[in-house]
Amino acid sequence: MDHLIAAAIHDAKNSLSSLGVWLDKARGEHDSAALHHAADLAARVNAQLVELLALHRAGEGSLRLAIADHNLADFLADLQTELPPGAERVLQVANADSLGEWAFDAYLVKFVLLDALRNALRHAHARVKLSAVIEVGHLHFRIEDDGPGFPAAVLQGEQGVMSTHSSGLGLSFARIIAERHATPDGRHGRIELHNDSGARFCLVLP
Amino acid sequence: MDLRGKTGLLIDDVAEMRNAVRIQLADAGIQSCDSVRNVKEAVVKLTARRYDLVVCDYNLGQGADGQQLLELVRRNKLLPLTTAFLMITGETGYEQVSTAAEFAPDDYLLKPFTSDVLATRLSRILDKKEALAPIYKHMGAKGDKALALAACDQVLAEQPRYATDVLRLKGDLLLALNRIDEALALYESVLQQRATPWAAVGKARALAASGKDDEAKEGLQQALAAYPNYLAAYDSLAGLLQKTDKVAAQQIVEQALKVAPSTRRQRQLGSLALENRDFSRAEEAYKRAVDKDRTGFFKSFDDYAGLAKSCSEQGKTQEALAAVKDMGVHFTRSPELAAHQAATEAGVQLRAGNTAAAQAALETALAVSKDANLAPETALAVAQACFASGRNNEAKAIIQAVAEDHHENDEVLAQAQSVFSAAGMGSEGAMFLEATRKRMVKLNNDAVAMAKAGQLDEAVTMLAEAADRLTNNCQVAINAALAVLMQAQKQGPTPEHFALALRYILQARKVNADYPRLGEVIAFYRKLAPPGTPPIPEQ
Repeated sequence: MDHLIAAAIHDAKNSLSSLGVWLDKARGEHDSAALHHAADLAARVNAQLVELLALHRAGEGSLRLAIADHNLADFLADLQTELPPGAERVLQVANADSLGEWAFDAYLVKFVLLDALRNALRHAHARVKLSAVIEVGHLHFRIEDDGPGFPAAVLQGEQGVMSTHSSGLGLSFARIIAERHATPDGRHGRIELHNDSGARFCLVLP
Repeated sequence: MDLRGKTGLLIDDVAEMRNAVRIQLADAGIQSCDSVRNVKEAVVKLTARRYDLVVCDYNLGQGADGQQLLELVRRNKLLPLTTAFLMITGETGYEQVSTAAEFAPDDYLLKPFTSDVLATRLSRILDKKEALAPIYKHMGAKGDKALALAACDQVLAEQPRYATDVLRLKGDLLLALNRIDEALALYESVLQQRATPWAAVGKARALAASGKDDEAKEGLQQALAAYPNYLAAYDSLAGLLQKTDKVAAQQIVEQALKVAPSTRRQRQLGSLALENRDFSRAEEAYKRAVDKDRTGFFKSFDDYAGLAKSCSEQGKTQEALAAVKDMGVHFTRSPELAAHQAATEAGVQLRAGNTAAAQAALETALAVSKDANLAPETALAVAQACFASGRNNEAKAIIQAVAEDHHENDEVLAQAQSVFSAAGMGSEGAMFLEATRKRMVKLNNDAVAMAKAGQLDEAVTMLAEAADRLTNNCQVAINAALAVLMQAQKQGPTPEHFALALRYILQARKVNADYPRLGEVIAFYRKLAPPGTPPIPEQ
């Protein structure tokens, strides 16, 4: 049964990947805002499947992170090529050139941040800020928006209430991926949610 | 980095993908691009020329994958460090690619991707390769690790962006140069800044190299808890455990195989399981090694020999003999094959109680090994079969010849030791091998001392005799060339001197072009040689 779930998710992902190729082809022939949104939606469903697969694997004990060094400036540059349409008008990305490298699972962390960015972009009035900062032996990826902030239930850590648009999958995924980032001396990553002048999402990696 | 004018090799078994990626590479400015379908064609291309970049799909069909290909071409020095290697993968292959151990691709890219993303990644890798070129220059076939180390410090000062890459190379170089304390200090200073898998494993390797095996093992176990996908940690830990606790080593290799399948690790598992007398597990592992790879590029004689042995030990004589036969199907006819098949069959027949058939097979193996200059592994397999049949003197004679020919090669000496151990003669074998090694060291020292004392004719006679017999011994060949040249210098050079010296220089270079004193002897030859002497051919 368990491997059927994983196989079904893989099948769906493969179909989505083909859909992506067709949408690209269609946009190549005749681009339109509608096709752009369709492509973004396909990317979103793909991200949800990635999250679902990771949660499924965590449940059956076979989720293993691939932690390796990544240049933070390059990582943030790559991340920006995968943002939803219109994001560039709202998003500011802090310069990370001097940060050098950090060890993390770039594939899974990318999905954590993309999910949090989508959420921030949906709720922001005019501005979303993405930054990476190294503080006392930890790397902090911060996403801040100027929207209404997280609902109280989310801040209190209740599951399943991320927003009316979301099942809470994204936040559960983010927590698991953060927690699974560990060091040989036993430190773990975490998610921090705050309301300041908007919502502030922070992924802290050891 | 401008990609225009760069040369590329594209490897993918699916024609449509090859065409699509080729167009994307052309969009990125790479006009000169060869494309091939499989491992065999890739090896041919990489042997023939050097490329700026290789783009390889993870899944290559026929049970082969891009990671195996990368390991193969890196181990066989077909892929210079300056060539960028980008692995393309679907999301399922990504998990295996991202775990790569000793030989990792420079970067990997998930399908589907755009031309822009492909160009960005390639140019990023090539920028890095260019920055690290001063180090790579001294790490190739004719390299000098001490110069490479000096280049590390220079690049570290001038190119801080690539500090992590340089420090990784520097740590490896320090370990290779046996400067263990400095390596340890480097890894510890990195780990003080941040936790990262390569430094954790590097620190453990440095601890192990300074004899602190227990600390090293503890470090690796902690690293594995934090980085369960980091294959280098499994490999290092299995290597350490192998010395003391083969059952625990087997468990670690089993775990590594769950992370990523590889023919090399199946073989390692098979060999450990054989030693642990876990024959059904050994059979399973060797069967996977033999069945998975349908290209034949990654298999070895040992896989079939191991399969035969594990079947035979379970009383499955027919299956064991079938494995011996399959060995002949999968490798081309050669003395190596004939010797392996006969040695393996001898063991199987003996275990089945067929003494006459075992003797006949062993005679075949011995006859082949007398006529051909066999690879050390093959000769040792024949020696092992001799021990099994109680023909200890013949076994020892073979091992002695191998050890004399390879007295500076720790890997071969360790294999020879394991043949003794398998025959229950571990401590006797250790003494035997040490005595052989010392005798070779003494031969070289005595001859050099004689030459220095002016007894050049005696030195030449002694070394020439040894060099003609031990054609795989680099040190002997180099000393023989040196003695002949000194004789020429003292007694007046003749064409015969240079012909002989050249022969020994080429003999040494064929065995190991990296041998430290080879360059010195070549320079001496060139200095002494009068005009008209045959030059030393370029490699």
